[in-house]
Amino acid sequence: MKRLLSATLLAGLLSGCMGSMPLPIGPLNRQLESLGANRDPSLSGRWLALISGKGGREQVVLVDLERQQPLPLPGLNRADAQPVSVSVDSAGERIALVRQLEGRTELVLYRRSLQSLQPIAMVPSGVPRQVQLQADGRQMAVQVSRAGLWQVDLVQIP
Amino acid sequence: MPAVALLLAGCGEGAWLNRRSAGPTGGFLEANRQDPALSGQGRFLASVVERSGRATLLLQEQPGGTVIRLRHFQGHQPHSSPSLSWTGRYVAALVQQGAQRVALIEDRATGALHRLPLPADRTAVRLSLAPDARRLAVQVAQRGQWRVQAFDLTGLLEPDLPGGMAVQGGGPGAPP
Repeated sequence: MKRLLSATLLAGLLSGCMGSMPLPIGPLNRQLESLGANRDPSLSGRWLALISGKGGREQVVLVDLERQQPLPLPGLNRADAQPVSVSVDSAGERIALVRQLEGRTELVLYRRSLQSLQPIAMVPSGVPRQVQLQADGRQMAVQVSRAGLWQVDLVQIP
Repeated sequence: MPAVALLLAGCGEGAWLNRRSAGPTGGFLEANRQDPALSGQGRFLASVVERSGRATLLLQEQPGGTVIRLRHFQGHQPHSSPSLSWTGRYVAALVQQGAQRVALIEDRATGALHRLPLPADRTAVRLSLAPDARRLAVQVAQRGQWRVQAFDLTGLLEPDLPGGMAVQGGGPGAPP
């Protein structure tokens, strides 16, 4: 009983002290650890998209934060493609991805409900490097290399 | 050439989608612009531009490009990996504080600054703030390996939801 009271008191003190601190999300972080090396996180709504690698091969992973489980992304990952940058919208429906494939770098938009993958042209021509979808999924910001400069394009999504 | 020229996605490979350049970089025309991040409905764009040779966070209202001054980021360059909440109330980015890369979150509504402490053996590389400001994900380098760690911000920040009021200007205490 005494031990229980002490534990309760300690928990109360900790929550009081740490109420204003960012707290690591233990179970989720352990789940992420199990995926291997991870980079390029994108949080939106109940979703976390990231690039995860194990055994020298990287792929895009979408984690449902409520269930703390990765979801299948049929048609998105390819064994011969190298993901560079990824971003997800708050509905978890659209995933924007910069990837290297067959010697070129391309931007693609994946729609999860349709399992469809749509290449997005860079105009004027340029090499995409990084992408971020705004949370409502209606626009994305793309960092593009053109004539030796980094520029940002804002691309509307119908 | 108009600063915010409308461009059409052209022929070649890939879809034709309407697009435009993010426009001038607030007095840093022709500068490199990297690490773009839009607020939830696209009203604000954060990016990193070169300013006196140092990577500096730039927050602009769209589509006009009006520069929004921030209170807490100056003097902690280089900045990288900005991230915005739904209405742009919260601005998160990595900054340099002494020898450490540190994640900062500025609340433009209250002027408050929040710092994410990381263990000394981890170097922050990238971050992503959830649009509702309930979570933060940080990519760190630790012992030569990249890891992503998620943090719960619900005890720290008020949520920022799609229907919320956008904060005008730089908020309390922002430089004029």
